[in-house]
Amino acid sequence: MTALATEPAAPGAATGAARRVLLAPITITPSKPLTPSHLKGLLWTDVMHRATQSLAHVTHRSSHTTYHPTEQTLGFWEFLDRTEGDTDYGDLTEEDIGALYVAFRAAARPSARDLRPYAEAAEHGWVHPASTRVLTLWSGHYARLGLHDPGLLRYQPPGLGLDAALDRLAGLGMCLDQRAVGGPVFLDLTRHGLPLRQLVTADGRPNYLACALRELLPLAPGFDEIVLLYDTELDSDHQQLARVLAELGPSVRRVPIGRVPIDGRIRSARQGGWRDVHAGALLDAAAGHDPAVVRLGMRLYFIAVLGPGQQQSFRPELLAQSLKRAERLLESAGQPQPEPLTDRLARHRKDHTYVDPYRLTSGLLGRRRAAPGLDLLTSVYL
Amino acid sequence: MTRTQQLLRERTAVRIRAARPDLADRHDLATPDGLLDAHRHIAQEAGAADDGQILAAVVVRDVDLARWVRDTCVFALGVPPEDAAAWRASFTRTVFLAGNPDHLRDRFVFAHLADDGSAAWTAPGPAAGTTTLRRLLKLFDAPAEVPPAPARHLTVPGEPPPGRVPVTRGLHLATAGCTVAEALVHLNHVIAEAVLDGLIAPGDRLTLHRVPRINPLPGHAVRVRAVPDPRLPGRLRAAAALTDGD
Repeated sequence: MTALATEPAAPGAATGAARRVLLAPITITPSKPLTPSHLKGLLWTDVMHRATQSLAHVTHRSSHTTYHPTEQTLGFWEFLDRTEGDTDYGDLTEEDIGALYVAFRAAARPSARDLRPYAEAAEHGWVHPASTRVLTLWSGHYARLGLHDPGLLRYQPPGLGLDAALDRLAGLGMCLDQRAVGGPVFLDLTRHGLPLRQLVTADGRPNYLACALRELLPLAPGFDEIVLLYDTELDSDHQQLARVLAELGPSVRRVPIGRVPIDGRIRSARQGGWRDVHAGALLDAAAGHDPAVVRLGMRLYFIAVLGPGQQQSFRPELLAQSLKRAERLLESAGQPQPEPLTDRLARHRKDHTYVDPYRLTSGLLGRRRAAPGLDLLTSVYL
Repeated sequence: MTRTQQLLRERTAVRIRAARPDLADRHDLATPDGLLDAHRHIAQEAGAADDGQILAAVVVRDVDLARWVRDTCVFALGVPPEDAAAWRASFTRTVFLAGNPDHLRDRFVFAHLADDGSAAWTAPGPAAGTTTLRRLLKLFDAPAEVPPAPARHLTVPGEPPPGRVPVTRGLHLATAGCTVAEALVHLNHVIAEAVLDGLIAPGDRLTLHRVPRINPLPGHAVRVRAVPDPRLPGRLRAAAALTDGD
């Protein structure tokens, strides 16, 4: 594998202009509305993407095709066809589809055999109409939020099939494959003191980590830095993923992002509870504001106000305050800045190439701060 | 009751008495109910999360049954007598874990490692001694049925003990409905106990037979592992057996 190794750029290359950075955020199962936790991750990734773009070659990879083969997606599709039949999903809202998803998660797990036709179809680019509907609605939210669309509705298959990815992993000495005795396949980093992590169940179902490896193993050698963005509770999986990818050359950075509790509780989307606080509802509530105010205000709230942790519950009044704050920032912005934009962005990095969205965004707040340049706002926030 | 049922019960009672005379005193092993009670007692003990329980752990990467039998013999032959008694009293309790021994040998001490790295054994000892290893790995999950195969011959490695003439023995496994994971459990108990009792020694020849069902029980069986028959309630069936001659 040494031929794949990439020498890290010299630390002297301060702007990192030639560095190739891959942003690989965890994707969201297209089966429900976007909750505040989801929004936070999306906005965080978007600011990182656009801020780093001025300093390096950035690739933002977020393919739904890659993660359709997970059980939670395939199982949902099978459940819908079995229980709903020929529903016109184009007429349903995200909340309608989300309610069906909650019902699916409460029902018995389908068998691997029932999922097989869906797994095969997904490999060839087929998407269930319920998920197409959700992704179409999300595309609308992305546009209103000014989020870069990484191809929500595009067929973007991972570079490797499952067997090829497992072979590549075995080549790295990181795979324990017990399919010969009917057993599971594990990611094996026990050499490094990390516990065995299942990738494929004994009955042949790959999990999201297996899907991530199909996508990231072939991409990794082409980058100098890979940034993994994910929910804090998935930290141990991402430690393992980072260890694998680092073996292929790039430096790998983990950016865990805390979820947003609703009324003091961190809830999984499978439990529902997104009424009035999902992306569509929040955007509708903010519809009286100028689009630029909405885009900046949402970023101020979900990045600078909430921060990387997960202590603060979602508070609509603080979001409203952030929108007002955005309005004032936009009014005061525009004075010519003595320092070039790239230098102002480059300050918000440590030993990594990506720009830290929290440091950059919280830098916009604070009463005594000078008004930000319009160049910064337009290239990163609007 | 069939003659085979009678034999299976007697053999099971002998096995319990040898390992745990105290259980033989508490339960009337001559009756089916007493035997069943003793079985429950043993299962309960094994299920209890007791760090002091004596067990061995086997890390399994992949399985070639004949090769694994040979390595199990080598491992059991290496168990020192002082450990053997305690392990015997816990019915040679063994935990099978999925793992790659090559990735673990720097961090953990193994009593025996297969030459090809396919498996590794920890010395029998208190469960607490393998807690870290067990947390790092997962229980060995091998639900595939044991495939039928022709008889395989193997020789137990090592020099025969002075004065002992090597013998030939048959090792029989009932494969119908038996998963690879279960096969390891059954064979492990039969081999380990036979080795500890001096019935298998270096230089001996073993023939591994994989047959759907061990019936009738060969008259020359020297060790039998009997388990409740899942399809015939109240009856035992031979899961594995060791015989004189092949």
